[in-house]
Amino acid sequence: MSTVFDLQHASVVLGGTQVLDGVSVRVDEGEFVAVLGANGAGKSTLVRTLVGLNPLASGSLDVFGTPVARFRSWERLGYVPQRLAVGGGVPATVREVAASGRVGRLSRFRRTSSADRHAVEHALEDVGMAQRAGDLVSTLSGGQQQRVLIARALAGEPEVLVLDEPTAGVDADSQDTLAGALGHLSNAGGSVVLVTHELGPLAALIRRAVVLRAGQVVSDGPPPEPEGHHAHPEHVHVHPHADEPGSSRFGL
Amino acid sequence: MDLLEFEFMRRALVAALLVGLAAPAIGTFLVQRRLALMGDGIGHIALTGVALGFLLGTAPVLTAIVVASLGAVAIELVREHGRASGDVALALLFYGGIAGGVLLIGLSPGGSSATLVSYLFGSLSSVSGADLAVIAALSVAVLGVVVVFGRELFALCLDEEVARVAGLPVRFLNLLVAVSAAVTVTVAMRVVGLLLVSALMVVPVATAQQVTRSFRSTQLLACALGAVASVSGLVLAFYADVAPGAATVVLALGGFLVAALVGTVHRTVTR
Repeated sequence: MSTVFDLQHASVVLGGTQVLDGVSVRVDEGEFVAVLGANGAGKSTLVRTLVGLNPLASGSLDVFGTPVARFRSWERLGYVPQRLAVGGGVPATVREVAASGRVGRLSRFRRTSSADRHAVEHALEDVGMAQRAGDLVSTLSGGQQQRVLIARALAGEPEVLVLDEPTAGVDADSQDTLAGALGHLSNAGGSVVLVTHELGPLAALIRRAVVLRAGQVVSDGPPPEPEGHHAHPEHVHVHPHADEPGSSRFGL
Repeated sequence: MDLLEFEFMRRALVAALLVGLAAPAIGTFLVQRRLALMGDGIGHIALTGVALGFLLGTAPVLTAIVVASLGAVAIELVREHGRASGDVALALLFYGGIAGGVLLIGLSPGGSSATLVSYLFGSLSSVSGADLAVIAALSVAVLGVVVVFGRELFALCLDEEVARVAGLPVRFLNLLVAVSAAVTVTVAMRVVGLLLVSALMVVPVATAQQVTRSFRSTQLLACALGAVASVSGLVLAFYADVAPGAATVVLALGGFLVAALVGTVHRTVTR
């Protein structure tokens, strides 16, 4: 099993403040990892560091076995940032936003192929937004916009998906849809790293929780016991099948 | 049509058409990034470039392109490093550009602020054959950038961080937008003048998005509207004997009002 992220003794300083302090986290292929912790613990900084958005003050990061400075196969990653809304001063359709996640895989002088369009449609279906493909993205609810942002990341057919608070402020329906989409990716052998405040419908998928406090890892292991209705037996059925080899979507 | 009898009007019409197409094409990306006033900032810097041309005795258009491009790159780098917020960076350019222009023109032999007026408000009727060749080449280059890099620029303007993680050459694309905008401004300064340049980059986009739903259709409609506004503005200026830049911008704004009205009525009816 190969390693997706290998972060060793990483320190990150942002605006003169040390946000991560000697963090070591390794994520293997097929893992489903939640990053937990209080506000300001460094959760977002950790995932942003993993996808190469924050420079390391010290320590090292390998992505798919390559030092991050030399890593070039970024199309293998999908990133869903924490956003309140899909931004921009010009109207854009749901399909256009989702398709923009595919651009990293496209050649500059070639037109989009049917495989590209199929990947975009598939991503929109996965988050239940295919019916709204032609709609203005700014007319959607917050939860629906979040689903479009996830479709944008899925449209690139990533092997690993990194999400920053995908469930924050998202309605229950959208949370369930989102859990379904992440479950599909995980079942197909993909890896998921996500920041979250509450586990919600994702609890059944999460195999491992990295808990941060004040920029340091204070625990790394099985997630906290599910509580309330999340402990209900029916949630067991959406567990990822980690033994299933990569399907055609991820069979690179 | 007697205006086509004049050689300078034929050249001016071609220049207006090309600039009318190119300005909204790049302007759509600026509006998408909520940098609608960037064209204005670049326009002000270009004024310093024009004055520098007079001071050095070279073609003002060339120095304007160089200085405006350097200024646009500087804005981009300031923005990238987050040392000043976008609007403060723009404000600094506005003041620096105008002050630099007036200062340099005062130093150049026989120059005065009056020399700059034709650049501030446009001088389409003075476009020479050589000017037209430059305007045509640069307009086509800007349109080419939009066609070839359009998908990447859309992804970039939608979300720079996601574009970075996707492995797009973010810095190159940012500088490409900045330099394309600078070139567009300098080319358009002959048509509408530096003070109104940004209007041609922004107003057609604002008009188009009253009635469109997708980015692509907004961009295409904005280019069409920009071309119609600049050509009809020139024709209007010819017959009414008014400044072409002002006529173009007034027509473009009139189009916006109509589209805003139609869009509002349409949304009210379909609701």
